[in-house]
Amino acid sequence: KEFVALSTRDRIRAIRDLAMSFEEKKHIRWVLTDKQLKLISFLVRVILRCGYSIRSARQTLELWQGIMKEIGGKFGTSVLSYFLFLKWLLMFNIFSFLINFGFITIPLLVYDPSPNIPPNVSFRGLEILTGAGYFNYTVMYYGGYSNETLIGLVDYNMQLAYFFTIAVYMVLCGIALIFSMASSFKENYVLADTVSNSAWQLLCSWDFSITNERAVRQRKNNLRVQLKVNKTCVTNPLLSVKTKSGEREAETLLVPFVVSLMNLVVPLFYSLFNKFEHYSSLGRQIYALVVRNVLLKMSILAVLCYYWMNVVAEKFSCWESMVGQALYRLVIVDFLFLMLGSFFGEFLSNVIGTRLLPRLGVPEFDVARNVLELIYAQTLAWIGIYFSPLLPAIQILKFFILFYLKKVSLTQNCQPPRRTGRAAQMQTIFIALLFFPFFVGALSIVAYTAWRLTPSEQCGPFRGLNNTFSVVGVWIDDLQEIPASQWVVWIYQNVIRSEIFYFLITLIIIVIIYIFWQVTQGRKQLIGQLRQQIVNVSVLHP
Amino acid sequence: MGNKQTIFTAQQLDAYQDCTYFTRKEILRLFDRYRDLAPQLVPLDYTNHPDVKLPYELIGSMPELKDNPFRQRIAEVFSEDGEGNMTLDDFLDMFSVLSEMAPRDLKASYAFKIYDFNNDDFICKSDLEKTLNRLTRNELTEDEVRMVCEKVIDEADLDNDGRLSLEDFQHMIVRAPDFLSTFHIRI
Repeated sequence: KEFVALSTRDRIRAIRDLAMSFEEKKHIRWVLTDKQLKLISFLVRVILRCGYSIRSARQTLELWQGIMKEIGGKFGTSVLSYFLFLKWLLMFNIFSFLINFGFITIPLLVYDPSPNIPPNVSFRGLEILTGAGYFNYTVMYYGGYSNETLIGLVDYNMQLAYFFTIAVYMVLCGIALIFSMASSFKENYVLADTVSNSAWQLLCSWDFSITNERAVRQRKNNLRVQLKVNKTCVTNPLLSVKTKSGEREAETLLVPFVVSLMNLVVPLFYSLFNKFEHYSSLGRQIYALVVRNVLLKMSILAVLCYYWMNVVAEKFSCWESMVGQALYRLVIVDFLFLMLGSFFGEFLSNVIGTRLLPRLGVPEFDVARNVLELIYAQTLAWIGIYFSPLLPAIQILKFFILFYLKKVSLTQNCQPPRRTGRAAQMQTIFIALLFFPFFVGALSIVAYTAWRLTPSEQCGPFRGLNNTFSVVGVWIDDLQEIPASQWVVWIYQNVIRSEIFYFLITLIIIVIIYIFWQVTQGRKQLIGQLRQQIVNVSVLHP
Repeated sequence: MGNKQTIFTAQQLDAYQDCTYFTRKEILRLFDRYRDLAPQLVPLDYTNHPDVKLPYELIGSMPELKDNPFRQRIAEVFSEDGEGNMTLDDFLDMFSVLSEMAPRDLKASYAFKIYDFNNDDFICKSDLEKTLNRLTRNELTEDEVRMVCEKVIDEADLDNDGRLSLEDFQHMIVRAPDFLSTFHIRI
């Protein structure tokens, strides 16, 4: 009956969603297509075939499909979510690299292909680790970019290009994160209900995708235990002792080394505490671990940023490149430590668990810790984009190698998780964490740099200006000469620079939020009433 | 397009693509998996619609299904004869519904059918007990089984008739966001 309203193509597509046997579906399809005029069904057929071949092509381009299937089959959906998250972050970096390279680096390389390197500097192998030396004078860092308008086929204003490319990328990232977080939140938190615990466990928790026999047995055991255990909770939250990274040595690799060492060792202590503490549910345990790790990483990053903004910016001449190098070193050393972490976390645990202390058993893949490491790595890249536009390329390589490394480590060393967690809700929490505080923090650092700090005099695209934002002011002044673009000037002066506009917008948004909130409250009441009606109706008509 | 295969006619492939969530390549790959189960029974030429059914024992021995405690119910629900013997159409239909592209409502209605052991369109207490026993390897005591089943019915039964209808089940599925990813077999 609903078919009458849809077009033929939609009708055919809707066949798949029917819960009928294949024969019935084919019959409906025959009814829909063969009874139409031959011309219409030919066109519909062509359009459908185009859609199918596009879908086919997109599938061949999909990265790592086979590996994802294998991991999902052996270890379940929660471990798979780590690898999906890694792939998603990789897409951010690929996009960032493409637009940075395309809009900032390529025009410069086309205009001036030979970098102006001082004569006594040559490429030694050490640059790959430290990022200084030869790399300092290339387009890798902020300092390698000129502030001129490049005269070529078109007049290309490097200052505006640099500023707007990075600004647009951050805004797009923010929008993507907000959308992703909102849709994930809607599906996994608002609609989900924590009340129906037992029913959920029973009917929906069986992971049909697991094909490993031992995993299946473990899942069954776990379900049995969970249904038997009554909830006595002994929460013993141990306060974590945070040590600050205060080393400010001249040895450039020492700082990243210490930072990464802390990032590696302290979470292991947290995991150790976990074994001694008792939590009422798996969810609480993971929350505690996540909160501790997040606080640790944020405090490390805060200290480092404070140092860069306040000390490095005053002391050095081409300070943006120095900060870019520091970030480069952090990224590289973090990668080395991630590899070490795999070794200690998974390989050694496996050896200890199987040979030395069989009581501990084979380790499980710690999804929470690994996801947080990914979020931290991505935050470094986001902070670094302003200071080193080609840093995403390093990040892409890093994530690529990390994927294969983690996959091998997982299959060799770990066993499937014994306790079924709420993977979808954890996914929401991780995306929310990625956005706030980490992305917002990175964005704030970059915004603060662009707004408050004076760009260095000798190098980079913003030399000679008071702050980076004044690029836009200069551009607007130039635009005032041209009569055709007066509207841009008007928008800048009356919308972006006026306080009244922001005040009004904030007021309007608050009112809209209030209205939506009231609508939600009303709907909740309606749901309660409808539920009561269902019960009443069934009592009257048993 | 590459019409190099001779197993199906173009119309048959179109029909499969319209009625399942698979692409052309996946359909051919699934045909290969189907044929691998019994190469002597399954012909290489399906253009004249041969009537071939693979017995349940072969289906249940597939690596994707052999460890699943519900494999027999899954095969019964998707097979034409209700016994678990599957034609190629049933086979494709089954993996299409269990793939990641199938929508939640479709999966929910099939999950309901799978858990409904006595095929009476309701999940009653005995169905729940059988489900629980399959999930926990028959190792809970009778009292525990009964208690859990009562709790499930209390929580999920909206119209208070002592058993779960499809609407009750779907209402509960909406509140279980993991369902889409767990009710999923990759092939």
